[in-house]
Amino acid sequence: MTPFPVRAVPWVLTVGGAIGLLAAFVLAVEKIALLEDPDYVPSCSLNPVLSCGSIMRTPQAEVFGFPNPLLGIVGFAVVLTTGVALLAGARLPGWYWLGLHLGAGLGVLFTHWLAFESLYVIGALCPYCMVVWAVVIPVFWYTTLHNWQRDSRLRDLAVKYHGVVVIVWYLVLGGAVLQAFWTYWTG
Amino acid sequence: MSANSKVALVVVAVVAVVIGVVVSVTRNGSEDNPAGAQPAALVREDSHRLSTAPDGKVTVVEFLDLECGACGAAFPGVERLRAEYGDRVTFVLRYFPIPSHRNAELAAAAVEAAGQQGKLEEMYRMMYETQPSWAGQQVSHRDTFVGFARELGLDTAKFEAALDDPATMARVHADRDDGVTVGVQGTPTFFVNGTVFTGPPSYEGLKSAIDRELAR
Repeated sequence: MTPFPVRAVPWVLTVGGAIGLLAAFVLAVEKIALLEDPDYVPSCSLNPVLSCGSIMRTPQAEVFGFPNPLLGIVGFAVVLTTGVALLAGARLPGWYWLGLHLGAGLGVLFTHWLAFESLYVIGALCPYCMVVWAVVIPVFWYTTLHNWQRDSRLRDLAVKYHGVVVIVWYLVLGGAVLQAFWTYWTG
Repeated sequence: MSANSKVALVVVAVVAVVIGVVVSVTRNGSEDNPAGAQPAALVREDSHRLSTAPDGKVTVVEFLDLECGACGAAFPGVERLRAEYGDRVTFVLRYFPIPSHRNAELAAAAVEAAGQQGKLEEMYRMMYETQPSWAGQQVSHRDTFVGFARELGLDTAKFEAALDDPATMARVHADRDDGVTVGVQGTPTFFVNGTVFTGPPSYEGLKSAIDRELAR
């Protein structure tokens, strides 16, 4: 029988895709509002650290010459659609899964680079962006488990402790957030 | 319960305990400052006053990080307010360099060192006016700051000696410690007559808070 984490993939893609799509969409809308009115205070600018307004104004927010959330809208829409199609009973060929894996991998690399910039260069956090970081991780990880067909001890371990990997990943990221803004959180 | 959930729970529990211990240890160190000690820590005798009002009726204190973009964004508004209210309102500059900013402490020390040669305000302005060229980078901008000192006509040997003097950095840290004591959580944080200013630190926002105090 297919192991649970692999059976869970359609759900992870559906839920993860939906949340990611929503976050990216809100970010794009806020960006437009900010462009219309430079003094606009986005809904996620809560205080000096949790402040997406200051982040949206940085060059890192437009790495490829256009606002990053546009990438998120396109990418998460694909993830969501894939998840729903799988739930509806679709069977996808191997190359499709590879493409999804590649896209999710690039998403992980990109969001983690942005996370690093946010923590250590810009020095502020953007709540919606953090939602995206949080969603990209399971989407990538469960796609990996699905595509990891070749039997090995490592794969068995990964499948058995699939949730531990996600938790540890979250904790490392959370620890970095805590460390970077230590004086802020404890002051 | 599956092995997966068990291990995950144990990992979470261990991390939670570790963070809890670290937080309680650090808290104990700083809790000897009760809330009642606030006014004294807000403006000290040696705090830098950029403008001084003769009547001392209204005082604006800014805890700032020279590398922080939001502070740089607030800077022109503060300059405008100082130009308009400099004779009626005391403006106090307090350092609050945030650790994740690589050059924030050094920049504060550079302002402090320039102050020893009577050019504190000029260096403070220079830092914000040039901020995009040096902020947010993971390299030391010591040479850049020494260059600023040269541009301002300072004695660079004396400036560098001041920059290296541990007392200069201690002065910067003393400001930040006061900031923590009065509850500063990020930069820029403004206090208008002892009350923390909430809302975006724009020219208009600060102006209305100042006008309110002046009218009192």
